[in-house]
Amino acid sequence: MGQDMMKKHPRFAVVGHPNKGKSSIVSALALDDTVQISDIPGTTNKQRSFPLKVDGKILYELIDTPGFQRARRVLAWLEKHDVSADKKHDVVQMFITEHRGDSQFNDELELLEPIMQGAGIIYVVDASKPYGKEYEAEMEVLRWTGQPSMALINHIEETDYSSEWKRALGQYFKMVRTFNPMTTNIEQHVSILESMAQLKEEWIAPVKESIKLFERYQEQRIEESSQVITQLIYDALSHVEELSLSEEETTTDEKERLEEQYKQYLRKLEIATQKKIEKIWNHDNLQKKQTFLTFKNLDLFSEESASVFGLTRKELLITGATSGAITGAGIDLLFAGHTLLLGGTIGALVGGAGAYFGFNELSEIKVMGQLLGKRYLQMGPMKNRNFSYIILGRALFHTSSIATRSHAIRSVAELSMENAFKEKWLDDSLRTSLEKYHKKFRSLDEINNETLKEYETLIKNILFKLIRH
Amino acid sequence: MNLKSYLDLYELLKNDVSSREERRAFGLSYGLGKSPLDQVITWTSRYYKKLKSPLLSETFSSYMYGVTMTLVIIAFFLGVFSGITLLSYNGHEPVNVVYFMAMVIVLPLFTMLLTVLSMIRSQSAQSILVHISPAYWLEKMLGLLPNAMQKSIETFKINPLLSNWIVIKRSQLLAIFFSLGLLLSLLAVVATKDIAFAWSTTLQITPEVLHRYLNLLAFPWREFIPTAVPSLELIEQSQYFRLGDSLSDEMIHNASKLGEWWRFLVFATLFYALFLRFVLYLVSLLGYHLALQKSLMGLEGVNTLLRDMNEPIISTHALHVEKISSAVQKNIQHIQKLDTSYDVVQGWAIPLSKLTVVIDSMEVITPNIFEVGGGNTLEEDSEIVHKSFGEVLLYVKAWEPPTMDFLDYLEILLESVDKVIVCPIGTEEESYKAKAKWVDIWVQKLSLLHNKKLWVKI
Repeated sequence: MGQDMMKKHPRFAVVGHPNKGKSSIVSALALDDTVQISDIPGTTNKQRSFPLKVDGKILYELIDTPGFQRARRVLAWLEKHDVSADKKHDVVQMFITEHRGDSQFNDELELLEPIMQGAGIIYVVDASKPYGKEYEAEMEVLRWTGQPSMALINHIEETDYSSEWKRALGQYFKMVRTFNPMTTNIEQHVSILESMAQLKEEWIAPVKESIKLFERYQEQRIEESSQVITQLIYDALSHVEELSLSEEETTTDEKERLEEQYKQYLRKLEIATQKKIEKIWNHDNLQKKQTFLTFKNLDLFSEESASVFGLTRKELLITGATSGAITGAGIDLLFAGHTLLLGGTIGALVGGAGAYFGFNELSEIKVMGQLLGKRYLQMGPMKNRNFSYIILGRALFHTSSIATRSHAIRSVAELSMENAFKEKWLDDSLRTSLEKYHKKFRSLDEINNETLKEYETLIKNILFKLIRH
Repeated sequence: MNLKSYLDLYELLKNDVSSREERRAFGLSYGLGKSPLDQVITWTSRYYKKLKSPLLSETFSSYMYGVTMTLVIIAFFLGVFSGITLLSYNGHEPVNVVYFMAMVIVLPLFTMLLTVLSMIRSQSAQSILVHISPAYWLEKMLGLLPNAMQKSIETFKINPLLSNWIVIKRSQLLAIFFSLGLLLSLLAVVATKDIAFAWSTTLQITPEVLHRYLNLLAFPWREFIPTAVPSLELIEQSQYFRLGDSLSDEMIHNASKLGEWWRFLVFATLFYALFLRFVLYLVSLLGYHLALQKSLMGLEGVNTLLRDMNEPIISTHALHVEKISSAVQKNIQHIQKLDTSYDVVQGWAIPLSKLTVVIDSMEVITPNIFEVGGGNTLEEDSEIVHKSFGEVLLYVKAWEPPTMDFLDYLEILLESVDKVIVCPIGTEEESYKAKAKWVDIWVQKLSLLHNKKLWVKI
């Protein structure tokens, strides 16, 4: 205990009545979805530490604790000792020492120990249910510890009794804040951390530093996600699937098999990317609706996907034409305009027509290696211009949904598609910028690091917009 | 930095030899203030020992060395034989210097032009100019020979930019050795034979015009070694016409002078085929070095490695995995409808004023109503237990899960009375109807008591 007492970083013990959302709050604040959250009281029976660490150095520590089980008994024991206010802390310490190993007070010891070691108290209540006198014993016990404290009002359900709770809590705590772990975002998260810093003067600086790092952590994860999405788009657009041929003539079955293999590769690639994204955002234990994973109702190649995430024929026509016109304009420039801008015009027409008529095609299936004797079918790289927007749209939707999902939520994630999602991130100028890179990815040319970095920056900006605003 | 660093890094990244923590520790210890390239190279040199033998870099370098040496020897002897063939003198007809000049001036200049173009186009994965290089095809042909080493490296896909520069660099080396072969054969033939050089062309070129061109070609050395520039007189004397299939009298008369061409040919070889090629070789070395840098930084996983080294590791999660609590029981006697009267009615943490309302709303009659738990002291609860008897209806707030404090009280109560019916109720807004999920929690918890006197209203 002596060593623990010397811990310099701020520590916060999240305490309260059983089933009032302590673990949910810790889960949301620690961005950790491994915290056991259950309706069954007593799910947490050991204190559990969630340190914010930077390169191994702890900046602050959140401690999830079991709920009070026998608060009245503890208070009765404490009140037997008629001491002045400055000695109450010692009496609590005596209680801990005397009852160490006593299973009757296991939960109380687990929650009082970190407090007596210097942790600030975050007392959690559920204001969706009425206030009751039974809470007073708990709050009184906490008052005996003499540690800095604040109350956090949680709303597990819709009903609101916060005014009566605030009146009661105000009697025991200097600071009362409201925090919903299920709907929290980074701003609310930072705001709560700022309040926690106010509990003790010497905690202000380290917690403020933690807030800065916490924001950097968010940026890091957006950057990592951008990198993963960039790799997905590049791999998906440049992938070439091959199938060795046994006979002279190519059969329909072989073509279908190759096409299925090609699609399967892309689906697996998307699933693997989703897993990576979930890991980046500490949602390793996330359960999603199976339909989303297997694309049962929303196939990657279905018309529905195309309309929700990809471009409409009209948008595709404009993108194709713009991209063609840019290439043609280059030719015009090369000939100092002597082509009477025909390059640009023809480029626009060819690009637009190619995009329009290739709406449903993925890629050509070609027979390769005829001259060398070893024959095989080849499919890829991706020719369909819309596909890049479908897979990118899906990746952005998945990432932004995961990134903004509270770690306190344990229900199955229903990542349902929104028709308006495309409008949130894609505009004409962005589409033109993206198309430039998609074109490069679709060619079999070597893509250098700088190109991938540029694309990554575009994705990062989109994600910032989707996640932070 | 060399090809070994590139291959070692490729293998290290592929085998994922270090954890994120190790990378960050390395970044903090060795990476501060260094450029990303230096960081990556230092990391590679520190970690390559973790790779299993044989290293890909050793296998590949050995293969490259073998192929290059073989090609260099082939190129050198090809140069020697080409030179001997071009300079073969049958004693009847003089050796036409135009062929040799074409080999040591025109061909090098043309191939150097192609090299420069291929250097410019080196970014392209399918650069035709690189792929028409003899070095490229000779290597392909060598690849057809049975070679165990090749099998071990065929899974490795080298960066096309780097691959192009390897071909460009190697082509320059082969050209240098080919030219050395030519030079050696020229010197050897000149030293061992008395060759009469002449020039002959179908084109209408006068000796004056040729002199002007040769003077121009000899500009790098004409000031220092004037004897290595053919004079107009020599050019005139060594013009050879096939007509008549015989040598002119003038040629025979000046036969001793016809050999003087060799100096020009040696210097032309030295300058055009060797010096310029060597300069291009140096340029290719520079290009190769830059391509190596670019390829190294472009390897898959390098960005992650750099990020891991330079970005602080921020973590917020718990250090230990939480144990999942055991399964629950739901084995308890229950009723669905309350009786109309009970001996005692109690409310756990429910104030008397509210408890009375609840009793009325549920149309229950009782002479004894008590508030237990909540704000009561333990002694007050104890007194109530003493006052309790018969059948006790115990109201509890359904939304407040049963604490051990409640279970302690219940156990004492059960010892004193005949029957206890625990009735979870909802809030006033819910008209005191408890939600099923909350009742379920009470059922689970109370089942743990295994007491036959205990009932639950569900």
